Amino acid sequence: MSNKKIPDSRGYFGEFGGKYVPETLWACLLELEGVYKEVSRQASFKKELKFYLSEYAGRPTPLYFAKNLSKHLGAKIYLKREDLLHTGAHKINNSLGQILLAKHMGKRRIIAETGAGQHGVSVATVSRLFGLNCEIYMGAEDVLRQKANVLRMRVLGAKVIPVCNGSKTLKDACSEAIRDWVTNVGDTYYLLGSTVGPHPYPYMVRDFQSVIGSEAKKQILKKEKKLPNYLVACVGGGSNSMGLFHPFFKEKSVKFIGVEAAGSGLNSFNSASLTKGEIGVLQGAKSFVLQDKFGQIKEAHSVAPGLDYPGVGPEHAFYKVTKRAEYVTVDDRQAIKGFKMLSQQEGIIPALEPSHAIYYLKELAKAAKNKIIIVCLSGRGDKDLDIVNQYIK
Amino acid sequence: MKISQKFKDLHKLGKKAFLAYVPFGFPTLDDSAKIILALQDCGVDIVELGVPFSDPLADGPIIQAAANKALAQGANTDKLFTMLNSLKGKLKIPLVIMTYYNPVLKYGMDKFFLKMKKAQVSGVMIVDLPVEESKAYIKKANRFNLETIFFVTPTTSFTRAKKIADHSKGFIYYISVTGITGPQKLDGDWLAASVKRIRKVTQLPICVGFGIHKKSQVKEISEFSDGVIIGSEIVKFIDENSCRKDLVKRLSKHIRSLCIK
Repeated sequence: MSNKKIPDSRGYFGEFGGKYVPETLWACLLELEGVYKEVSRQASFKKELKFYLSEYAGRPTPLYFAKNLSKHLGAKIYLKREDLLHTGAHKINNSLGQILLAKHMGKRRIIAETGAGQHGVSVATVSRLFGLNCEIYMGAEDVLRQKANVLRMRVLGAKVIPVCNGSKTLKDACSEAIRDWVTNVGDTYYLLGSTVGPHPYPYMVRDFQSVIGSEAKKQILKKEKKLPNYLVACVGGGSNSMGLFHPFFKEKSVKFIGVEAAGSGLNSFNSASLTKGEIGVLQGAKSFVLQDKFGQIKEAHSVAPGLDYPGVGPEHAFYKVTKRAEYVTVDDRQAIKGFKMLSQQEGIIPALEPSHAIYYLKELAKAAKNKIIIVCLSGRGDKDLDIVNQYIK
Repeated sequence: MKISQKFKDLHKLGKKAFLAYVPFGFPTLDDSAKIILALQDCGVDIVELGVPFSDPLADGPIIQAAANKALAQGANTDKLFTMLNSLKGKLKIPLVIMTYYNPVLKYGMDKFFLKMKKAQVSGVMIVDLPVEESKAYIKKANRFNLETIFFVTPTTSFTRAKKIADHSKGFIYYISVTGITGPQKLDGDWLAASVKRIRKVTQLPICVGFGIHKKSQVKEISEFSDGVIIGSEIVKFIDENSCRKDLVKRLSKHIRSLCIK
């Protein structure tokens, strides 16, 4: 399932990653790492996870040939339809994997952070499924921007705790979840939703999300009898993109393109940590971070709450410096155009996060005529109608 | 002054250390130097100076709010060293920098340590830098003759406590609770047993911090530890009195009321 050398035993992807945490958390990270390594190899665990992924979440998801969009842009575009999963986004892949671990570890209480609310909804969902208590930290601004998801979490019996610190978005929700974990580490499992945070999270979340790329690989080989030329996905913390990319890591002919959020512009508020950030340590890992010259973390911004984060997973940082992947940016206005383009061409309303990747296809197709492109449609856009509506006004 | 020397002196007198935490740049940039000197005057043995970080994972609401306020007023690493340099010759007790890793990493560890040395800072502790990630850090700190303090917590195993002690200089910071900074009820008997356990792996002084906010706790914990650290309680007091002209005077009085000397 996982790549042998990356990360290394200390949780490093090249020079990125590690475990930069307060001492209180050391023991439980070690425990989690041990349990994950042991349990994830067991046939019974794999079988159980596979069962829930297919019977409950709806895997495998289609790799859909977007005929109209392909014609419109002049490339062969396939959409990996993670938006069709239960709860409406790829987040459930990881949440199911981790909740089975939590259950195995005998934890009774689940906490999580959420930005767009998609991860929060998936955690609330799996917590309900397995009868565990669930509390979700969400930035106060996101609580306002993603009302529908807040309601969904509450219907599912989760307690949604608005976080009023800092920028009141994903980063602050994550810090608050970590503080809760530091305090309640005995009975609480922190179900982190992206390929960020201290080891083993970045690699564990990557493994659970790798089902996206593994399926896509089989599907494209069946449909096209060859590998794709490009993989395209949006990058916030980086879980849907890493899930798609990782299984193709050794296929050197396949180019990876990660699309970051340029927000209001690269010289204004944005979330483009790989493009505009510098090496730093945030929330447990060394990676690229948006920061000032004194190492204070800058406020991120994106129209897509799920990308609104000033850091990025360490494996993406590794891909960037080793040039395994290319990272580009798409701003708020372009993302809205991507949102409309897919809705109008294919009758599929994407979430604002993958709308960044969709918009980039327009640029990519110019240089990649008739090439095969797989784009990860990481979530559906119902949650974003309010935001888009405001933009149209 | 070296921290180890301070503990030797206290030991000779049969006394326990009283450590006070204050964040740099709080309540205003101008107050820091005055507050630090006032702490010295009212009998504080070691000053723990917090360098504000935008995302302090181990801090509760009181210290978070103070850090945000300091940053909003323009507190930064350059200004920190300017202030520390102004204390040279006036500050006779050890001062320890407490911060998170990113501000040090970004400033450049060599530059940060060199400036600490020049400002006669005694030691450093970094909340989110466990010993496993500290190889270069310790090497550099040694080169600048800075004492590196690490944390032991209720979740730290016995073998790990030994490893941490082997990397520590000055003293061991025992975190009294599984949790973040801020006032707590503490179980004295349990704490005494914990400190006793750590003594088996180290000769270093052991100071207890987190949650301590009243004199009775200071008294009880001083019985079995080598020192007591108070942070949030002091920060809260400064915050509540920050608009008063006699803030420093009031603070001194408050510190004396917490101190057992």
